[in-house]
Amino acid sequence: MAATASHLAIGTPQSRGYFINSGFQLENGNTSLRLTSNSFRVNMGIFRIGSYCSRGRRCIVAQASNDTTIDSSNKPKETALILIRHGESLWNEKNLFTGCVDVPLTNKGVEEAIEAGKRISNIPIDVIHTSALIRAQMTAMLAMTQHRRKKVPIIMHNESEQAKSWSQIFSEETIKQCIPVVTAWQLNERMYGELQGLNKQETADRYGKEQVHEWRRSYDIPPPNGESLEMCAQRAVAYFKEHIEPQLVSGKNVMIAAHGNSLRSIIMYLDKLTSQEVISLELSTGIPMLYISKDGKFIRRGSPAGPTEAGVYAYTKRLAKYRQKLDDMSYI
Amino acid sequence: MAAIAFHQAIGTRYSYGCFHQEQGTASPRLVSYGFRVDNRLLRSENYRSSKRKLFFSHASTTQTPVFDPVSSPSKNATAESRKKSNEAALILIRHGESLWNEKNLFTGCVDVPLTQKGVEEAIEAGKRISNIPVDMIYTSALIRAQMTAMLAMTQHRRKKVPIVMHDESEQAKSWSRIHSEETKKQCIPVVTAWQLNERMYGELQGLNKQETADRYGKEKVHEWRRSYDIPPPNGESLEMCAERAVAYFKERIEPQFVAGNNVMIAAHGNSLRSIIMYLDKLTSQEVISLELSTGIPMLYIFKEGKFVRRGSPAGPSEAGVYAYTKTLALYRQKLDEKEMFH
Repeated sequence: MAATASHLAIGTPQSRGYFINSGFQLENGNTSLRLTSNSFRVNMGIFRIGSYCSRGRRCIVAQASNDTTIDSSNKPKETALILIRHGESLWNEKNLFTGCVDVPLTNKGVEEAIEAGKRISNIPIDVIHTSALIRAQMTAMLAMTQHRRKKVPIIMHNESEQAKSWSQIFSEETIKQCIPVVTAWQLNERMYGELQGLNKQETADRYGKEQVHEWRRSYDIPPPNGESLEMCAQRAVAYFKEHIEPQLVSGKNVMIAAHGNSLRSIIMYLDKLTSQEVISLELSTGIPMLYISKDGKFIRRGSPAGPTEAGVYAYTKRLAKYRQKLDDMSYI
Repeated sequence: MAAIAFHQAIGTRYSYGCFHQEQGTASPRLVSYGFRVDNRLLRSENYRSSKRKLFFSHASTTQTPVFDPVSSPSKNATAESRKKSNEAALILIRHGESLWNEKNLFTGCVDVPLTQKGVEEAIEAGKRISNIPVDMIYTSALIRAQMTAMLAMTQHRRKKVPIVMHDESEQAKSWSRIHSEETKKQCIPVVTAWQLNERMYGELQGLNKQETADRYGKEKVHEWRRSYDIPPPNGESLEMCAERAVAYFKERIEPQFVAGNNVMIAAHGNSLRSIIMYLDKLTSQEVISLELSTGIPMLYIFKEGKFVRRGSPAGPSEAGVYAYTKTLALYRQKLDEKEMFH
């Protein structure tokens, strides 16, 4: 049936484990849009509306519509995926193992985020996923202050019933202008166990340089009570496949703001790297990586040029047209 | 009594106009560190004297308590390694412009981030408080307040590191654990609390202010926005907001001062007004007309169980000589001294 709804979904996929289970069920990857009855119950894959429409109120829930309407005949053939690794944090500066300790950005990290934002200001974004850590969330929000489209990122809250109901939006018009931001512990940095908070030099002194090097750079050897890269990859890629990939397939452009190891894990999946290859993969901080999702495949498109760079970088025809539209709009 | 300390005078007071200043006495009695100093020797020396003859015999002892972010703060009240100051600072910062402020939409508890301007306001606020010790930070559950706190702290001189606390689940707690005592001592715990959220605006959230006026009528909307106890449909009144904000303040934040910890709260217009209502013992009539500037920090001193309003710390570019209290001025001097030798 033709999809004619163009609402924005506010329901969020549930992240188990880290946040309080709010009973918000997750659909399994089915992304077909079906309009049932005239009460606007929209089943659109990973966004389940049921519990959100409490008290029989006419809830304004639907899915993100960008310039391309969500109609199976009209589904965009390709969507953009942006990966941004956060910049310098206060413990990077002090050379301490950070892992999942929630350390914020330094001034430099703030600037890196804004710079990254300038580089992606012309790429459409419909959904944002970040980790549960403030340095990634801030990176995403700072980057979006530079975005040209003018849709507003809104962080989703479903850690409790009250959090959900208190953050509801009651204007359809406004909802259309929202970019949902989903926070997920599964995108967190690799958990470094008993090394968290330790000085890198001290740790080398205490455990020996080789042992530390092994923990940091092997694929499957975790530090004491910590995660190996393999373990990190397992939960990060599982989250990507379950929550993010369906969105890309359904026509949404996605930005992920996360950490060195969680992003390497995802890139390992996107580029089908071996464990040997991923170990030597280094992702620059603050430099966004662009992938195009097309026909179920991921094509790496490198890093969008900064605004001061004189390159003529058109990622795809579609993105180039999108940029042109933005340019046209700013003349109005 | 003979003056045996060689401290420079710090005690010039500077009045800020926006709020009433307490008419405190201007007697800088140095009672800490075992020195009793005759204040006649200390008065009226310029705080910003370029001759930095600082003879802090006890300057090496930290002015602020050593804090273990893992255990509950009040348990550390008796740590003998810590010199308990007899006063503690409370900084209130209201976040700056958010993306919906810009669009003139009712925000409430919708989690909307800052605009670029809001980011700059936060950094500016941080410069103003860069010399005031901070041991604990409390923010709301909303990103615009959290970002304001973290951006402000990028400007802080002390170099302790704010760390956001996570206890939403067992895994969150264990995954965020720090395993170095040394590092923990350099941490400023950041506690996020929904009780410090903006007033929840119910069915007005997301609505355009003009549209809402058209739909409900100007007076009705004005009533919801400006009355004390009339909530918008399915929303909170200011009274309801105050109830949960002040309860949180009394239960979780106030004990921090008693334990000697300096606190910063980064939150929202209504939750901060509620707290100020409590601190200054305002009536509901008075609180309604209270406006708190965005991005301009408000300073209170907690002393002997009371909160003394000290106005707003001067920005770094302002030529004022603003010494909040002797303790804070000494603290600032210590920071300056440290920087000289590094």
